[in-house]
Amino acid sequence: MSPHSLSRRDFLTTGAGGILAAAALDRPADGAEPKVLRVRAYTNYEILDPAYHLGAPESDVMDALFVGLVSLQPGTTWGWERDAAVAIEQADPTHIKFQLRPGIPWTNGFGEVSAEDVKFSYERMADPANKSPYRGDWAKLAGVDVTGPHSGVIVLKEPFIPLWSSTLPQSSGLIVCKKAVGRLDGKRFALDPPATCGPYRIRKVEPRLSITLERNPLWPGPRLPFDEIHAVAILDANAAEIAFEAGQVDVTHVPMTSVPRLEAKPPANAGLVVRPGLTYWWLGMQMETGVFADARVRKAAQLALDVKSVLDGAFFGVAPRSTGIIAPGLVGHRERNLVGGPDLERARKLLAEAGHPKGFKTEIGVRNSAEFINAAQVVAASLARVGIQAEVVPFASGVQKAMASDKAGGWKKMQMHISRFSMRPDPSWATVWFTSAQIGEWNWERFSSAEYDRLHEQALAETDPAKRHAMYVRMQDLMEESGAYTFLTHGVNAVLHRSHLKPALTPDANRMLLRKFQIA
Amino acid sequence: MPAAASLPAARQAGGRAAARRLLREPFGAVGLGLVVLVTAGALLADVVSPTDPLALDIRARLQAPSIGHPLGTDHLGRDLFARVLHGGRVALEVALVSVGLALVGGLALGTVAGYGPPWLDHALVLLFDTVRSFPTIMFALALVTVLGGSLASIVLIVVVTSIPVYGRIARTQTQSLRTYEFILAARALGAGAPRVLAGHVVPNVIGPLLILASMEIPVVVTIEAGLSFLGVGIRPPTPSWGSILNDGYAFIRETPWPVVAGGLPLAVTTLGFTFLGEALRDVFDPRLRREA
Repeated sequence: MSPHSLSRRDFLTTGAGGILAAAALDRPADGAEPKVLRVRAYTNYEILDPAYHLGAPESDVMDALFVGLVSLQPGTTWGWERDAAVAIEQADPTHIKFQLRPGIPWTNGFGEVSAEDVKFSYERMADPANKSPYRGDWAKLAGVDVTGPHSGVIVLKEPFIPLWSSTLPQSSGLIVCKKAVGRLDGKRFALDPPATCGPYRIRKVEPRLSITLERNPLWPGPRLPFDEIHAVAILDANAAEIAFEAGQVDVTHVPMTSVPRLEAKPPANAGLVVRPGLTYWWLGMQMETGVFADARVRKAAQLALDVKSVLDGAFFGVAPRSTGIIAPGLVGHRERNLVGGPDLERARKLLAEAGHPKGFKTEIGVRNSAEFINAAQVVAASLARVGIQAEVVPFASGVQKAMASDKAGGWKKMQMHISRFSMRPDPSWATVWFTSAQIGEWNWERFSSAEYDRLHEQALAETDPAKRHAMYVRMQDLMEESGAYTFLTHGVNAVLHRSHLKPALTPDANRMLLRKFQIA
Repeated sequence: MPAAASLPAARQAGGRAAARRLLREPFGAVGLGLVVLVTAGALLADVVSPTDPLALDIRARLQAPSIGHPLGTDHLGRDLFARVLHGGRVALEVALVSVGLALVGGLALGTVAGYGPPWLDHALVLLFDTVRSFPTIMFALALVTVLGGSLASIVLIVVVTSIPVYGRIARTQTQSLRTYEFILAARALGAGAPRVLAGHVVPNVIGPLLILASMEIPVVVTIEAGLSFLGVGIRPPTPSWGSILNDGYAFIRETPWPVVAGGLPLAVTTLGFTFLGEALRDVFDPRLRREA
């Protein structure tokens, strides 16, 4: 053996030593093991700007990097708690006064969080010129009056009830640094915020893979239990479960179809949280052209569909049937559907009246993922009983939206589709997508009702909960009466976590409130 | 007419000898057996398994193999044996149609390139090289994005990407044949290009192409399965081995049987056609036979 040769033992010793040395460098100065929370995201991290982010996992990370006036309360009931605001009150239906806690510094030497930052953040989002996808959250904002370095008044053009549930405590209520963001091109950023103020700051970003957060040494608030948060994007649900079992992540969402198995035999040292979701799934029919332009055909499809089979087949019976687009517990939730169980005789009769006594061929467009494709296959089997031969067409993410927006008429190819929309705890977040203004955007059924549009606008400002409830119930009735909708489920969200963790989740378990996680 | 009568007899004798040689090759016999098994299963799917491959029985989902369901059931309670057999029908339909069309197209273009004027040869070779320069899977995904996933799209992808393969071989063979005496003799007797190609060139070029085609079939089957696995191939609920695999993968923690059911026929088909193709090559390629 030459003096420079390396035996297998030498190699292993040197390698292990190197790994240990690297690990030691990674430890806090006091020599203790860093407490790390490792979370899995089901989408890639692409944008951490509250005005332009793309999905809930990004909101989870943004919550750890920024503060809002208020933040969401974890638990099983929807609520908010003060965050950067030491005081906040609704002075009247259109004025919200706030007082910021002084001494919350921005990183990178941008001073401290001020009322000017609040004004900049909310007005930036509301300004149509900035084209924030979340400008609807601030649609009624007239402006923010700054009354002192740390105080101000949010002024609304008219009462806006969703403000306290789906705007202020959510990502749309997060505050960004005016001095830092204002000097950026386009006043926006992606994965590189120029200044943050939350309890954590970014240590490392691997685009589309992971984000590592570490304690923000400037954070003046209480010390949180974790030194670091490792957020890893694992798109495939099976891979996420394997990563959990291999100890690579501590907390992950799991698909609905995994719930029965995990409940029956949970992994060692793990807990499972299953909560009813707010999202809504439905079968929609494009009612402007093609075979479904005939209301009798749409109603026949409604009557032919066996929703229970769809839920059993696609979601393993874990998710109950929905009665609309507004989930139980929210204002506007309907008690029951107008169309009950399947009625094949009536469906066949309607098809015969519409000139399709032997049925017809059509397509069901779905997102290219197992849950959607499974649901569509059961729907197809259900419709086949009355002669409607439906082929399932999986689309890549975004393709259906592009078709719906196609001004050259690509939307005409969309006949049936199964969709799921995300939701916040205010009914307006569900109904807004089905207004006439959304035709060519998110209203893929091209459902148009003047009464619906009027009720949607009125309900945004209606302060009487009973009247507001009746308005949203009527809107869902109108949707179902059109025949273009069969409501399927709100689903459930399931979170698998290490038993030494006490996860902080929203009541629907869709969001992980990372800075509120505790050690059990 | 003793000479004329003896020609078919000689051909028959040659064919029997080739078949004997094929069956004497261990891989050849195994390959032929597997190909016959897969083909018979696909053709007789309705007889072998009268269960409807689309019929749902959600209460009986993810069952292990039993007498009622020889390969178990999938996540929607569909009989996996029936789905595998009907999936085989789809796979072979795609493979035979697309390989057949690619062979005919490649043969036509390749012989024309090899026999025609130099400018036409250059143009066709440039076309072949251009098409072959695209990675097949990337090309397939791009085409499926534009056209949408369907049986016709998959056939089109395979035909377009395979024609240059057959075309290049046909061209080379034709170029080597064009100076042979029997071709020159035919031309001297006044035979035009179409007649020379059809009557003299094609019969001498087709052999290697058929061997290549038999080896291309498993490639096409895996392309179809791959696209269906990715959700851009055959549309559900039509059974395809790729979509059976994909469905199985989603529930692999519940049961491995759907993955086995989707993977097994792919393995059997690939092995069968590959063994058969290699055995055919050994039997019919005189150079290899001499080396042996």
